[in-house]
Amino acid sequence: MVRRTLTPYLLVAPFFVVFGAFGVFPLLRTAWVSTHRWHLISGDEGFAGLDNFRHLLADPLFYNALGNTLSIFLLATVPQLGLALGIAALLARRGPAWQVLVLVPNVVPVVAVALVFGQLLGRDYGMVNFLLGHVGVEPIAWQADRWAAHLGVAVMVMWRWTGYTALLYLAAMRSVPRELYEAAELDGAGAWHRFRVVTLPGIRPTLLFTVVASAIGGVQMFTEPQLFDGSGLAGAGGSDRQFQTVAMYLYEVGFGRFDAGYAAAMTWVLFVLCAVFTTAAVGLVRRVISR
Amino acid sequence: MRRGRVPWVLAVIALGVQALAGCTASAGQERVRITVATFGEFGYEPLFAEYERLNPGIDLVGRVTDFDSHHKGLITALAAGRGAADVVAVEEQYLPALRHSRDKLVDLARFGARDLAGRWAPWKWEQGVVGDAVLGLGTDMGGLAMCYRTDLMARAGLPTDRDALAALWPTWQAYAEVADRFAARVPDAKFADSAGTVYTAMLNQAEENYFRTADDAFIGDSNPAVARAFTLAGAIGAQHRTAALTTFTQPWNVGINQGAFATMTCPAWMLAQIKQAGGPGAAGTWDVTTVPGGAGNWGGSYLVVPAQGQHIEAAYAAAEWLTAPAQQKRLFESDNILPSQPEVYRDPTVLARTDPYFRDAPVGRIYAASSDAVRPNHRGVRDADIRPIFGRALGRIEDGKQTVDQAWQQAVDEAHAVLR
Repeated sequence: MVRRTLTPYLLVAPFFVVFGAFGVFPLLRTAWVSTHRWHLISGDEGFAGLDNFRHLLADPLFYNALGNTLSIFLLATVPQLGLALGIAALLARRGPAWQVLVLVPNVVPVVAVALVFGQLLGRDYGMVNFLLGHVGVEPIAWQADRWAAHLGVAVMVMWRWTGYTALLYLAAMRSVPRELYEAAELDGAGAWHRFRVVTLPGIRPTLLFTVVASAIGGVQMFTEPQLFDGSGLAGAGGSDRQFQTVAMYLYEVGFGRFDAGYAAAMTWVLFVLCAVFTTAAVGLVRRVISR
Repeated sequence: MRRGRVPWVLAVIALGVQALAGCTASAGQERVRITVATFGEFGYEPLFAEYERLNPGIDLVGRVTDFDSHHKGLITALAAGRGAADVVAVEEQYLPALRHSRDKLVDLARFGARDLAGRWAPWKWEQGVVGDAVLGLGTDMGGLAMCYRTDLMARAGLPTDRDALAALWPTWQAYAEVADRFAARVPDAKFADSAGTVYTAMLNQAEENYFRTADDAFIGDSNPAVARAFTLAGAIGAQHRTAALTTFTQPWNVGINQGAFATMTCPAWMLAQIKQAGGPGAAGTWDVTTVPGGAGNWGGSYLVVPAQGQHIEAAYAAAEWLTAPAQQKRLFESDNILPSQPEVYRDPTVLARTDPYFRDAPVGRIYAASSDAVRPNHRGVRDADIRPIFGRALGRIEDGKQTVDQAWQQAVDEAHAVLR
């Protein structure tokens, strides 16, 4: 009898154990660390209350990182989702070979993508500047200029995720009932109109999911911009931190400066931001594509 | 000895692997197993075999990772209290940060390390000492010289002979004037690789830079040595005398290969980097001469013994042997690793060393002379937090984003904010 009631709990236990160890515990531990002055190597150096948070909210470098994160997120996500919709609409009329092809960029490791783009967008020896030179454009210092750097990082993100998002949209489009299209056609709706009033509302849940996923990924953006800086892990997102995201600043503080307390405080703020950001993005999309 | 190629994200993985690897280190029945963690190329493998032959019952096991993973791994292991190797190499730039956590490392004076002080150049020994504790035994050093491209010098109408060229730049001020002459004659190449390397070399020639020796207080905003170095290096950058290439990056390697710049400050371990980046085809284009200011040091490492180890006494014995003069001499002969002990670098065979790749430059003599004149250089506990701030400030000047004054002001403000 006991065994019967225990079994279901045992079956779900692995998830909760893993989630507890890698989800809940770090969260609570980080909260504990964030209220202390905490050196990464030496450990606890005394209770500090909300000092770390107070300092963070007055830290101009944090707001700089926040602005960069937001800018790169918008530059990467808005065109990406639009492009993915377009590709999905085109793929709907093509064979499966094309679907495999659009997923290829996503399976390339992000480090390889970052290294390749870093070389393409080199200031002195980059392919892009070489080609721009042929049409008379002065070489662009991709890493040094704020907007060029944001664009460069955004292109990397788009390159990796557009195909993946397109496939999600494609799957959602396939599940929109045929009859709706036929009914719309009978009512005299053109291709564009059908797309707007049938397809978009039909794939709304998927749209919301991709926006949430991109928002979370965008707030935590780290590898692409970190490797875009030629000096690698030691970098701070350019000489004026022009493309340093919040996650990069977190890494610099925690693992470069060993200020674990401050980094932990930033982690929590990042966590809250993630929630706020996601909610805002979802709200926005809900409003735009109303039923 | 410094960073080679850097597979960055492996760093994260390496943290985990290193932690796991450490757990198994205590196995072994009768034999004592001592792990020695190094980065890049220390050339220790043949020495391990010999040490095991001399000391039956000891297993020396090497563990080699790249520069970044190695140091981040050490820091994680020290923070976690487990997972560090028994003997760990630490590059000098990470040493001040470890002084903050000196209780995590064994005070080697416990085993009589103080008696060895005479082996090393005084400044090298001093760097490894905190108060009355000895934290590290010196391995190699990075005596400073200046490497230059003879083809570009010839085009600029400057002497290609190493002694004549060195005579033109006794000081960094004179070096900046040579840069002006060079720029007037050669429009398509720059004089130096970056303002940052010039700045670092000048800074390391001063006895104090960002922190006061006496009480470790921040003096970066008031120390004339820092301001002088920043102004001079900044001016070179602002006048576009530099190629604005960050050391160790891919474009920097290409720059060496393509002759994008004519001079670069050049510690002993840099020769291997130039050979690698330049390739066999560039043999005979680069040469080595004395650095402005006469002497300097950039890089070089120490062996430390983490206190968490199981066999700290055996670990100390191994570290002592690996850094002893006889072994340093062998490493120089086998792998060109510059010894940090005067007795060794003044050895006739070391002094007589020339390098055919660099037009038979007498590298043994140049680096020995440079190292002999190095003065101890105080590095604050938080040196590594401040150094990159001023480096980035020079980058902003080179990018044409700020004037020297603006960049300086922003750097000083940022330094104060970081040191809250």
